[in-house]
Amino acid sequence: MVSGGNASSLPLVGGKPEPTIKELSSPGRRASKFPKLDVPEVKINHESLKKEKARLPEVSEHDLVMHYSRLAHRNFAVDLGFYPLGSCTMKYNPRFADSIASDSRFANMHPSMPEEFTQGCLKVYYEIGNYLCEITGMDDASFQPPAGASGELTGLLIIKKYLEVNNMNHKTEIIVPDSAHGTNPASARMAGFTVVEVETDSRGMVNIEKLKEIVNDNTAGLMLTNPNTGGLFEEEILTISQIIHNAGGLLYYDGANLNAIVGASRPGDMGFDIVHSNLHKTFATPHGGGGPGSGPVAVKSFLREFLPGPIAENKDRKYNWYHPENSIGRMHGYHGNFLVTLRALVYMKLLGKEGLDKLGAYAVLNARYLSSKVSQIIPLAYDEPCMHEFVASVRDLKKSHKIKAYDVGKALLDKGFHSPTIYFPLIVEEALMFEPTETQSKETLDDLAENLKLIVDDLQKDDTVLEDYPKNLPVGRPNELIPAKYLTVNWGDFELLEITE
Amino acid sequence: MFVPHSELDLKKMFDELKINSLDDLFTHIPDALLLENGLDLPESLSELESIDYFDDIAARNKSELVCFAGGGHYDVYLPQTVKSLTMRPEFMTSYTPYQAEISQGILQVLFEFQSLVCDLTDMELANASLYDGATSIAEAISVAINKTKRDKVVISSGLNPNSKEVINTLIDRNKFNLDYVDLDNFLFPTNFEFDESQAAFVVSYPHYEGSCQDLTALVERAKEKGLVTICYVDPSMLGVLTTPGQMGFDIMIAEGQSLGSPLSFGGPTVGWFATKKEFARLVPGRLIGESRDKDGNKSYVMTLRAREQDIRREKASSNICTNQTLNAIGSAIHLSWLGPEGIFEMGYHAIQKANYMRKQLIKNGYVIPNDDSSLREFLLEVKSDAAEVIQKMGDKGFLAGILYDDKHILVAVTEKRKKIEIDNYIESLMEVDNG
Repeated sequence: MVSGGNASSLPLVGGKPEPTIKELSSPGRRASKFPKLDVPEVKINHESLKKEKARLPEVSEHDLVMHYSRLAHRNFAVDLGFYPLGSCTMKYNPRFADSIASDSRFANMHPSMPEEFTQGCLKVYYEIGNYLCEITGMDDASFQPPAGASGELTGLLIIKKYLEVNNMNHKTEIIVPDSAHGTNPASARMAGFTVVEVETDSRGMVNIEKLKEIVNDNTAGLMLTNPNTGGLFEEEILTISQIIHNAGGLLYYDGANLNAIVGASRPGDMGFDIVHSNLHKTFATPHGGGGPGSGPVAVKSFLREFLPGPIAENKDRKYNWYHPENSIGRMHGYHGNFLVTLRALVYMKLLGKEGLDKLGAYAVLNARYLSSKVSQIIPLAYDEPCMHEFVASVRDLKKSHKIKAYDVGKALLDKGFHSPTIYFPLIVEEALMFEPTETQSKETLDDLAENLKLIVDDLQKDDTVLEDYPKNLPVGRPNELIPAKYLTVNWGDFELLEITE
Repeated sequence: MFVPHSELDLKKMFDELKINSLDDLFTHIPDALLLENGLDLPESLSELESIDYFDDIAARNKSELVCFAGGGHYDVYLPQTVKSLTMRPEFMTSYTPYQAEISQGILQVLFEFQSLVCDLTDMELANASLYDGATSIAEAISVAINKTKRDKVVISSGLNPNSKEVINTLIDRNKFNLDYVDLDNFLFPTNFEFDESQAAFVVSYPHYEGSCQDLTALVERAKEKGLVTICYVDPSMLGVLTTPGQMGFDIMIAEGQSLGSPLSFGGPTVGWFATKKEFARLVPGRLIGESRDKDGNKSYVMTLRAREQDIRREKASSNICTNQTLNAIGSAIHLSWLGPEGIFEMGYHAIQKANYMRKQLIKNGYVIPNDDSSLREFLLEVKSDAAEVIQKMGDKGFLAGILYDDKHILVAVTEKRKKIEIDNYIESLMEVDNG
């Protein structure tokens, strides 16, 4: 039994489970201290005031710090090891950006201040807008979308509004490849479009013949990543662009894979009309355990007036907010995730032309090198040169030795690596998707390949132990059915379950 | 920069790939699509040079102003403990906890966040965060529409105007009728008639203008007609205010900035979303559940995944993927730091100080239209043009509040404001506002 801050978990990984902050609570303790009330205290009567105190834990500051530090110790991170998670671009996040984003002159800015008081923040948006447009080959950008999925929805709402203004309301179909991220069809549905899937061909690219069959007068647009989710560059992108544009549709670029082409090629030059970027992937802002991100949307100039506003512009050496005329409206309560945007600008400044020109090339080099090593252990899904990521498949090992992608991923955890993305793209059976990023060294890539070989060799010798992995971590595989069935999503729920069952 | 390869590394890697240069990596890309001279961008800066560059930008912000602005984002004291722990690299530089065995840290903090939000608001089930307060309202409305299959929504006009814009963007007005109901003397009309065509009743607590009312009876009447009742709450006041759960609301959403995040020019902050268990399968975003591994060890894992976009694709409950996890972690740690006494003092000091400020303003000839019903935030009627007053107050060192209309400024007082700051504010106001 744990109480009063005496956690029995060991400070380093392993040992007993860490109690919850509620279990550490002891009546009468507190960490917080406020100054004495310095105005004359009066009796305030208001119907909304309550008498009882809020139900919150009572802990000392040291207990609180130890608790959350011990939890931090039980978490893998980019700063701890290799995170070859496909489609997520887990590159190094420069420390320097933390210091700029923590500067109170940025962090303590209230979002409702008039333009004259916020010239610095406006300049940040203006400057990064220029960088982003140059990198993607677009003309104007809005930083309202707080994440990639919000950027996608923004792009689709722009398509919708553009069609409305141009009396093309009959165009209701958005084409999405069968290899696309789940957010693509989810965003298209949220924007009120019908989703039509286009098949991938045997080379791993959009099937042009099938695309021609699907495209018709109702086609509103196509959503595409390039390189696609198989890590392959869509070599026929100019043909695809022509097919969509000839039908009066627009081309949307999902920026999830932008890291592969920075400095080498630009979506704007490929014919894309709208681009969203994930600053938390390509531009090295920390993922924060799942967020915050930032998903700015950049467009060709004919779509500028549809962007969510306001947008920073520079007139007469002053920065001001511009409100696009036919704007789809706000996507965020204020200006999007400002401090994330600021970190991305810091990264762009540090890399500069020299670094950004070669960014994509180094990301591709690492992936191509790792794919060469991995292909000697597990077959790749496609026999094409990969860009910044690649997909391998253990389909054959599953048949011969019951080895699933899931098991390989879990076994890698034991070796000190994060798992690659598994079971994605959906069209590849038993997929393992690796994205090393440009910040990992050759030795680390070699090390991953060697460990992968050890795992596959071991499992082939004895596939009865598959489900034991991982073995060396604080917990093994959690039972996923319990919380889904009994909704143990709040403290006390699980204990209640044990009592009733 | 940040690429580790030496010339020797590059040679070995090129040899493995049988190429001679980086350019050879892109021979399969059509020539027309390759940039010939790279990007037209400035050359790179060292850290030292960047410090100067960003110092110049930061200096253009009037960040030193004493803040009396609110509207959902409040200048509360954010303890160093919260800032330091939130910035731990294990939290900051990790991805979504898909691999539970190496993500127990993030998973447990998020589970604690969900539980703390439920305890504070008296709800049953909270998700692991949404983008911000404004987008959370839209997500909650979507839940209500999906639940009731009705196409009208009753929304109180006493919401942050930006939030209304976000709702108007995200809820398809060709399909759904958004009925904004005007406040009556700064309160939601208690005699409002709900009917069975309406999917949801959305109301801010307190209202945007700062007035606050007991919504229990309205909630009861809305529920009688089958509406889903949605409360947008200022969570930093829940140490002193009756909770959304106590008033019977089905869904609680909040802008969580004031618990765990700096003002950040509006982002990143965090949207809170909590509801009752009967709504579980309609909830947007991630949910963390408690489970056990095969040896019986307590373990946490993402759950009810079948609602989410990566599995359900176009049938998902929302398209949200990346959320605001790090800010949710900040909320959990800040709430734990505050405890029941701290969050009480935070709210109590704010309303005492706001009350003092209102009485002083009135004493000095100012009109506070919602003096009776407001708590920590209120409308200040000025004599000259309100936008000009805000500009001139800036020169005096104050962010006077948020421009409400040409005669009114929305003023917020937090526990952080000192009596001397309030007194000086009023003195400055009387100097600049002489219309």
